[in-house]
Amino acid sequence: MRSRGIGFGFILALAVAVLGFAVIPRMILNAPAEPTMGVVQKIFYFHVPCAFMLFLSTFVCAGGSIAYLFKSSEAGDRVAASAGELAVLFGACVLTSGPLWGRKAWGVWWQWDTRLTTSFLLFLMMVAFLLARRYGGPAGRKLGAALSLFAAISVPVVYKSVDMARTIHPKTTVVTTLDPHMRAAFWSSVLLMTVVLAVLFMLRLRLERARAEVAELRLAVEDAAEVPR
Amino acid sequence: MKAVRRVLLIVALLALGPAQALAQVFEKVEGPVRAEIPAVPFVAAAYGIIWLAILFYVFIIARGLARVDGEIADLKRKVDRQDIRP
Repeated sequence: MRSRGIGFGFILALAVAVLGFAVIPRMILNAPAEPTMGVVQKIFYFHVPCAFMLFLSTFVCAGGSIAYLFKSSEAGDRVAASAGELAVLFGACVLTSGPLWGRKAWGVWWQWDTRLTTSFLLFLMMVAFLLARRYGGPAGRKLGAALSLFAAISVPVVYKSVDMARTIHPKTTVVTTLDPHMRAAFWSSVLLMTVVLAVLFMLRLRLERARAEVAELRLAVEDAAEVPR
Repeated sequence: MKAVRRVLLIVALLALGPAQALAQVFEKVEGPVRAEIPAVPFVAAAYGIIWLAILFYVFIIARGLARVDGEIADLKRKVDRQDIRP
Protein backbone atom coordinates (compact mmCIF):
# COMPACT_ATOMS: atom_id res chain seq x y z
CA MET A 1 0.00 0.00 0.00
CA ARG A 2 1.34 3.48 -0.90
CA SER A 3 2.13 6.04 1.72
CA ARG A 4 -0.35 8.90 1.99
CA GLY A 5 2.00 11.09 4.03
CA ILE A 6 2.58 14.76 3.20
CA GLY A 7 6.10 15.15 1.95
CA PHE A 8 8.76 17.83 1.63
CA GLY A 9 7.27 19.11 -1.65
CA PHE A 10 3.97 19.91 0.05
CA ILE A 11 5.63 21.79 2.93
CA LEU A 12 7.80 23.76 0.49
CA ALA A 13 4.77 24.66 -1.66
CA LEU A 14 2.85 25.71 1.44
CA ALA A 15 5.75 27.95 2.53
CA VAL A 16 5.92 29.57 -0.93
CA ALA A 17 2.14 30.15 -0.84
CA VAL A 18 2.34 31.82 2.59
CA LEU A 19 5.25 33.99 1.37
CA GLY A 20 3.25 34.85 -1.74
CA PHE A 21 0.29 36.02 0.34
CA ALA A 22 2.60 38.42 2.15
CA VAL A 23 4.35 39.85 -0.92
CA ILE A 24 2.08 39.68 -3.97
CA PRO A 25 -0.90 41.78 -2.76
CA ARG A 26 1.60 44.60 -2.13
CA MET A 27 3.02 44.19 -5.65
CA ILE A 28 -0.50 44.39 -7.08
CA LEU A 29 -1.27 47.53 -5.07
CA ASN A 30 1.99 49.17 -6.19
CA ALA A 31 1.53 48.24 -9.87
CA PRO A 32 0.63 51.29 -12.00
CA ALA A 33 -3.07 51.98 -12.57
CA GLU A 34 -4.54 51.49 -16.03
CA PRO A 35 -5.71 54.88 -17.43
CA THR A 36 -9.08 53.84 -18.90
CA MET A 37 -10.38 51.48 -16.22
CA GLY A 38 -8.51 52.78 -13.18
CA VAL A 39 -8.41 50.81 -9.94
CA VAL A 40 -10.87 48.12 -11.05
CA GLN A 41 -8.27 46.85 -13.56
CA LYS A 42 -6.44 45.36 -10.53
CA ILE A 43 -8.98 42.50 -10.64
CA PHE A 44 -6.97 41.41 -13.71
CA TYR A 45 -4.09 40.30 -11.42
CA PHE A 46 -6.12 37.48 -9.90
CA HIS A 47 -8.93 37.00 -12.44
CA VAL A 48 -6.54 35.96 -15.24
CA PRO A 49 -4.32 33.70 -13.04
CA CYS A 50 -7.52 31.95 -11.87
CA ALA A 51 -8.47 31.43 -15.54
CA PHE A 52 -5.00 29.96 -16.21
CA MET A 53 -5.50 27.59 -13.27
CA LEU A 54 -8.90 26.59 -14.67
CA PHE A 55 -7.18 25.70 -17.97
CA LEU A 56 -4.32 23.87 -16.25
CA SER A 57 -6.62 21.82 -14.00
CA THR A 58 -8.78 20.92 -17.00
CA PHE A 59 -5.71 19.64 -18.87
CA VAL A 60 -4.51 17.65 -15.84
CA CYS A 61 -8.02 16.22 -15.45
CA ALA A 62 -8.05 15.21 -19.12
CA GLY A 63 -4.58 13.61 -18.77
CA GLY A 64 -5.79 11.52 -15.81
CA SER A 65 -8.96 10.64 -17.71
CA ILE A 66 -6.96 9.41 -20.72
CA ALA A 67 -4.93 7.15 -18.41
CA TYR A 68 -8.15 5.86 -16.86
CA LEU A 69 -10.05 5.39 -20.14
CA PHE A 70 -7.30 3.75 -22.17
CA LYS A 71 -5.17 2.02 -19.51
CA SER A 72 -7.77 1.50 -16.75
CA SER A 73 -5.42 3.33 -14.40
CA GLU A 74 -7.01 3.90 -10.99
CA ALA A 75 -4.26 6.45 -10.20
CA GLY A 76 -5.22 8.32 -13.37
CA ASP A 77 -8.83 8.35 -12.22
CA ARG A 78 -7.82 9.77 -8.85
CA VAL A 79 -5.78 12.51 -10.58
CA ALA A 80 -8.76 13.33 -12.82
CA ALA A 81 -11.18 13.50 -9.86
CA SER A 82 -8.86 15.84 -7.93
CA ALA A 83 -8.05 18.12 -10.87
CA GLY A 84 -11.68 18.20 -12.01
CA GLU A 85 -12.82 19.51 -8.66
CA LEU A 86 -10.11 22.19 -8.76
CA ALA A 87 -11.19 23.20 -12.27
CA VAL A 88 -14.68 23.83 -10.91
CA LEU A 89 -13.26 25.80 -7.97
CA PHE A 90 -11.11 28.06 -10.19
CA GLY A 91 -13.88 28.28 -12.78
CA ALA A 92 -16.20 29.61 -10.07
CA CYS A 93 -13.52 32.16 -9.09
CA VAL A 94 -13.20 33.32 -12.72
CA LEU A 95 -16.96 33.56 -13.18
CA THR A 96 -17.42 35.65 -10.03
CA SER A 97 -14.41 37.98 -10.35
CA GLY A 98 -15.15 38.62 -14.06
CA PRO A 99 -18.67 40.04 -13.59
CA LEU A 100 -17.38 42.24 -10.75
CA TRP A 101 -14.83 43.69 -13.16
CA GLY A 102 -17.41 43.93 -15.97
CA ARG A 103 -19.95 45.77 -13.81
CA LYS A 104 -17.49 48.61 -13.28
CA ALA A 105 -15.72 48.56 -16.64
CA TRP A 106 -18.67 47.83 -18.98
CA GLY A 107 -21.59 48.86 -16.80
CA VAL A 108 -23.14 45.36 -16.86
CA TRP A 109 -22.59 42.22 -14.80
CA TRP A 110 -22.75 39.86 -17.77
CA GLN A 111 -22.67 39.90 -21.58
CA TRP A 112 -23.27 36.86 -23.79
CA ASP A 113 -19.94 37.70 -25.39
CA THR A 114 -17.80 34.93 -27.00
CA ARG A 115 -15.21 34.76 -24.19
CA LEU A 116 -17.75 34.86 -21.39
CA THR A 117 -20.04 32.31 -23.02
CA THR A 118 -17.26 29.83 -23.88
CA SER A 119 -15.79 30.16 -20.35
CA PHE A 120 -19.22 29.51 -18.86
CA LEU A 121 -19.62 26.42 -21.08
CA LEU A 122 -16.20 25.12 -20.02
CA PHE A 123 -17.20 25.58 -16.37
CA LEU A 124 -20.49 23.72 -17.02
CA MET A 125 -18.59 20.85 -18.66
CA MET A 126 -16.41 20.50 -15.56
CA VAL A 127 -19.49 20.63 -13.32
CA ALA A 128 -21.02 17.90 -15.53
CA PHE A 129 -17.81 15.88 -15.04
CA LEU A 130 -18.30 15.97 -11.25
CA LEU A 131 -22.03 15.26 -11.50
CA ALA A 132 -21.45 12.29 -13.82
CA ARG A 133 -18.94 10.82 -11.37
CA ARG A 134 -21.26 11.31 -8.41
CA TYR A 135 -24.63 10.37 -9.86
CA GLY A 136 -23.74 8.50 -13.07
CA GLY A 137 -23.87 5.03 -11.49
CA PRO A 138 -21.37 2.33 -12.51
CA ALA A 139 -20.52 4.09 -15.81
CA GLY A 140 -20.25 7.51 -14.16
CA ARG A 141 -16.48 7.60 -13.95
CA LYS A 142 -16.07 6.71 -17.66
CA LEU A 143 -18.75 9.19 -18.68
CA GLY A 144 -17.03 11.88 -16.62
CA ALA A 145 -13.65 11.02 -18.17
CA ALA A 146 -15.09 11.41 -21.68
CA LEU A 147 -16.63 14.76 -20.70
CA SER A 148 -13.30 16.02 -19.41
CA LEU A 149 -11.71 15.29 -22.82
CA PHE A 150 -14.27 17.56 -24.48
CA ALA A 151 -13.58 20.19 -21.83
CA ALA A 152 -9.83 20.03 -22.56
CA ILE A 153 -10.47 20.38 -26.30
CA SER A 154 -12.55 23.49 -25.61
CA VAL A 155 -9.77 25.21 -23.61
CA PRO A 156 -7.89 26.55 -26.71
CA VAL A 157 -11.25 27.75 -28.09
CA VAL A 158 -11.93 29.66 -24.86
CA TYR A 159 -8.42 31.15 -24.91
CA LYS A 160 -8.46 32.22 -28.58
CA SER A 161 -12.14 33.26 -28.62
CA VAL A 162 -11.23 36.92 -27.99
CA ASP A 163 -8.94 36.94 -31.03
CA MET A 164 -11.32 35.02 -33.30
CA ALA A 165 -14.53 36.98 -32.72
CA ARG A 166 -15.58 40.55 -32.10
CA THR A 167 -15.76 40.98 -28.37
CA ILE A 168 -15.74 43.58 -25.62
CA HIS A 169 -13.45 41.40 -23.47
CA PRO A 170 -9.72 42.36 -23.52
CA LYS A 171 -7.71 40.38 -26.07
CA THR A 172 -4.91 37.88 -25.30
CA THR A 173 -2.35 40.52 -26.36
CA VAL A 174 -2.91 42.49 -23.12
CA VAL A 175 -0.72 39.98 -21.30
CA THR A 176 2.17 40.16 -23.78
CA THR A 177 2.08 43.97 -23.98
CA LEU A 178 1.99 44.69 -20.24
CA ASP A 179 4.06 47.48 -18.70
CA PRO A 180 7.15 45.96 -16.94
CA HIS A 181 5.79 46.85 -13.46
CA MET A 182 2.41 45.35 -14.28
CA ARG A 183 4.14 42.31 -15.80
CA ALA A 184 6.11 41.57 -12.61
CA ALA A 185 2.95 41.75 -10.46
CA PHE A 186 0.97 39.68 -12.95
CA TRP A 187 3.47 36.82 -13.35
CA SER A 188 4.12 36.74 -9.59
CA SER A 189 0.40 36.35 -9.10
CA VAL A 190 0.32 33.55 -11.71
CA LEU A 191 3.18 31.83 -9.83
CA LEU A 192 1.33 32.17 -6.51
CA MET A 193 -1.85 30.72 -7.99
CA THR A 194 0.15 27.83 -9.49
CA VAL A 195 1.64 27.04 -6.08
CA VAL A 196 -1.81 27.29 -4.46
CA LEU A 197 -3.16 24.94 -7.13
CA ALA A 198 -0.30 22.49 -6.47
CA VAL A 199 -0.96 22.55 -2.69
CA LEU A 200 -4.71 22.03 -3.18
CA PHE A 201 -4.09 19.28 -5.72
CA MET A 202 -1.75 17.40 -3.37
CA LEU A 203 -4.28 17.67 -0.52
CA ARG A 204 -7.16 16.53 -2.72
CA LEU A 205 -5.13 13.66 -4.15
CA ARG A 206 -4.24 12.56 -0.62
CA LEU A 207 -7.97 12.45 0.16
CA GLU A 208 -8.62 10.32 -2.95
CA ARG A 209 -5.84 7.90 -1.95
CA ALA A 210 -7.21 7.68 1.58
CA ARG A 211 -10.67 6.89 0.20
CA ALA A 212 -9.17 4.16 -1.99
CA GLU A 213 -7.45 2.72 1.10
CA VAL A 214 -10.76 2.73 2.99
CA ALA A 215 -12.43 0.84 0.14
CA GLU A 216 -9.58 -1.70 0.13
CA LEU A 217 -9.73 -2.20 3.90
CA ARG A 218 -13.52 -2.57 3.85
CA LEU A 219 -13.22 -5.30 1.24
CA ALA A 220 -10.61 -7.07 3.36
CA VAL A 221 -12.86 -6.89 6.45
CA GLU A 222 -15.92 -8.08 4.51
CA ASP A 223 -13.97 -10.96 2.92
CA ALA A 224 -12.67 -12.05 6.33
CA ALA A 225 -16.21 -11.97 7.77
CA GLU A 226 -17.45 -14.26 4.98
CA VAL A 227 -14.71 -16.89 5.40
CA PRO A 228 -15.93 -19.68 7.79
CA ARG A 229 -13.63 -20.19 10.79
CA MET B 1 -49.43 58.35 -53.39
CA LYS B 2 -45.87 57.78 -52.19
CA ALA B 3 -45.11 61.52 -52.32
CA VAL B 4 -48.25 62.33 -50.31
CA ARG B 5 -47.21 59.80 -47.64
CA ARG B 6 -43.75 61.36 -47.44
CA VAL B 7 -45.21 64.88 -47.03
CA LEU B 8 -47.58 63.66 -44.31
CA LEU B 9 -44.69 62.00 -42.46
CA ILE B 10 -42.58 65.18 -42.58
CA VAL B 11 -45.55 67.28 -41.37
CA ALA B 12 -46.16 64.84 -38.52
CA LEU B 13 -42.49 64.93 -37.48
CA LEU B 14 -42.43 68.74 -37.53
CA ALA B 15 -45.66 68.89 -35.51
CA LEU B 16 -44.24 66.60 -32.83
CA GLY B 17 -41.29 68.90 -32.25
CA PRO B 18 -37.76 67.94 -31.23
CA ALA B 19 -37.18 64.66 -29.41
CA GLN B 20 -36.85 64.67 -25.64
CA ALA B 21 -33.17 63.80 -25.86
CA LEU B 22 -32.42 66.95 -27.86
CA ALA B 23 -34.14 69.07 -25.23
CA GLN B 24 -31.73 67.90 -22.51
CA VAL B 25 -28.94 70.18 -21.39
CA PHE B 26 -25.42 69.08 -20.55
CA GLU B 27 -24.39 70.50 -17.25
CA LYS B 28 -20.79 71.19 -16.38
CA VAL B 29 -19.30 69.41 -13.39
CA GLU B 30 -18.05 71.55 -10.53
CA GLY B 31 -14.80 70.38 -8.92
CA PRO B 32 -12.97 67.14 -9.71
CA VAL B 33 -14.77 64.50 -11.80
CA ARG B 34 -15.66 61.39 -9.82
CA ALA B 35 -16.63 57.97 -11.16
CA GLU B 36 -20.27 57.02 -10.59
CA ILE B 37 -19.46 53.59 -9.17
CA PRO B 38 -16.49 53.33 -6.78
CA ALA B 39 -14.02 50.67 -7.93
CA VAL B 40 -12.49 49.64 -4.60
CA PRO B 41 -15.49 47.56 -3.36
CA PHE B 42 -15.44 45.57 -6.62
CA VAL B 43 -11.71 44.85 -6.34
CA ALA B 44 -12.06 43.95 -2.65
CA ALA B 45 -15.08 41.71 -3.36
CA ALA B 46 -13.33 39.87 -6.22
CA TYR B 47 -10.17 39.36 -4.15
CA GLY B 48 -12.13 38.35 -1.04
CA ILE B 49 -14.40 35.89 -2.87
CA ILE B 50 -11.44 34.11 -4.49
CA TRP B 51 -9.52 33.63 -1.24
CA LEU B 52 -12.64 32.74 0.75
CA ALA B 53 -13.51 30.09 -1.84
CA ILE B 54 -9.99 28.65 -1.62
CA LEU B 55 -10.02 28.67 2.20
CA PHE B 56 -13.47 27.07 2.25
CA TYR B 57 -12.19 24.35 -0.10
CA VAL B 58 -9.17 23.72 2.15
CA PHE B 59 -11.54 23.42 5.12
CA ILE B 60 -13.73 20.90 3.26
CA ILE B 61 -10.71 18.80 2.26
CA ALA B 62 -9.21 18.93 5.77
CA ARG B 63 -12.54 17.80 7.26
CA GLY B 64 -12.79 14.98 4.70
CA LEU B 65 -9.24 13.89 5.43
CA ALA B 66 -9.85 13.83 9.19
CA ARG B 67 -12.98 11.71 8.71
CA VAL B 68 -11.34 9.26 6.29
CA ASP B 69 -8.21 8.96 8.45
CA GLY B 70 -10.45 8.08 11.41
CA GLU B 71 -12.21 5.48 9.29
CA ILE B 72 -8.87 3.99 8.21
CA ALA B 73 -7.75 3.72 11.84
CA ASP B 74 -11.01 1.92 12.75
CA LEU B 75 -10.75 -0.49 9.84
CA LYS B 76 -7.09 -1.19 10.60
CA ARG B 77 -8.03 -2.12 14.17
CA LYS B 78 -10.67 -4.52 12.81
CA VAL B 79 -8.13 -6.01 10.39
CA ASP B 80 -5.62 -6.49 13.21
CA ARG B 81 -8.24 -8.16 15.41
CA GLN B 82 -9.24 -10.54 12.62
CA ASP B 83 -5.60 -11.09 11.67
CA ILE B 84 -6.15 -10.52 7.94
CA ARG B 85 -4.12 -8.73 5.29
CA PRO B 86 -5.70 -6.22 2.88
